[in-house]
Amino acid sequence: MMRDDGVATRMGGRMGAELSGDSEFERRTRELLTQSADALPAAVRSRLTQARYAALGAGAGRATWIATRRWAWPAGVLAAAALAVLVVVVPHREVRPTASTGGASVFEDVELLSDSEAVPLVQDASSGQGADYDFYEWAASEAGAANASGT
Amino acid sequence: MAAFATLALRTTDLRLPRKAPLRDSTLDGARSLESFLATIERKAFRMAQIALRHEADALDVVQDAMLQLSARYASRPPEEWKPLFYRILENRIRDVQRRRNVRNRVMALIPWRSEDDDEGADLIAQATDGGPTPAMQLESDQMMVALEAALAALPARQRQAFLLRNFEGLDVAETAAAMRCSEGSVKTHYFRALQALRAKLGEFWT
Repeated sequence: MMRDDGVATRMGGRMGAELSGDSEFERRTRELLTQSADALPAAVRSRLTQARYAALGAGAGRATWIATRRWAWPAGVLAAAALAVLVVVVPHREVRPTASTGGASVFEDVELLSDSEAVPLVQDASSGQGADYDFYEWAASEAGAANASGT
Repeated sequence: MAAFATLALRTTDLRLPRKAPLRDSTLDGARSLESFLATIERKAFRMAQIALRHEADALDVVQDAMLQLSARYASRPPEEWKPLFYRILENRIRDVQRRRNVRNRVMALIPWRSEDDDEGADLIAQATDGGPTPAMQLESDQMMVALEAALAALPARQRQAFLLRNFEGLDVAETAAAMRCSEGSVKTHYFRALQALRAKLGEFWT
């Protein structure tokens, strides 16, 4: 590249004269080449036309594909992201048992507490039902005393 | 989560295509590309034919160049199409010449190959439509044959520079873009091509 530039510079005057305006030689060669291009056989011109339409058809097909791909890319990325979330996050999620229910769901507690027909878990002594507790305590203490005395 | 982070990083590297043009502008672009190809196809074919000296190969390389321009560079500004097209065309011509060299070397190793394998020229297909008188046509044909032979004998870069500048009418900057070289190189190649052609064809032009 440097060499060519140098040659071009050295040739400056002559080459500048050649390039500044077309010489007769250049005009004649151009004319001859243009004539030969204009006088191409019909078969060649037909093939060129077919090639042009084929190229335009292929280009249009590719443009459609690019337009489709333009929307497919974000959709694909979103789908991949959603899949990654499912794969990464869901397996690590587990139900932790609560201490009070020993593994039962909180919903079961709510159901038990809200059931009006259920047996009270802790009976209120002031409501007159506390005698049962007194009886059981007495029976247990009596049984313990009998065991201690050996009778 | 690491996979998710990697995915997020990759999505930032995606290069989405340019904003899709509206349908009307797409049609306009297709029309302008078609008119562009229609204006250059004959000259492109002649350039390929001079370089390859083979009609079918020349048609193939022109079609390949059209396909590639349409498929890959149609979205470029129309003023860039011509240098791009001729760059593609020259690359295709070079590919064919390389393949031909390899094939010739291989075929030279096959002693029983018949010369009848070559297809003869189709004279009917080469017939031209109307034109000058037979005497003028004969003279023109002789000059054209001599010019084609002289152009084919030039080094590839000189031939390319001469045809792009003189025949296709590209300016120095466009020729440099098509040839992937500096403008100084274009001037040098063109000047040398001109000198060589003058030396060979002087008798036809005096």
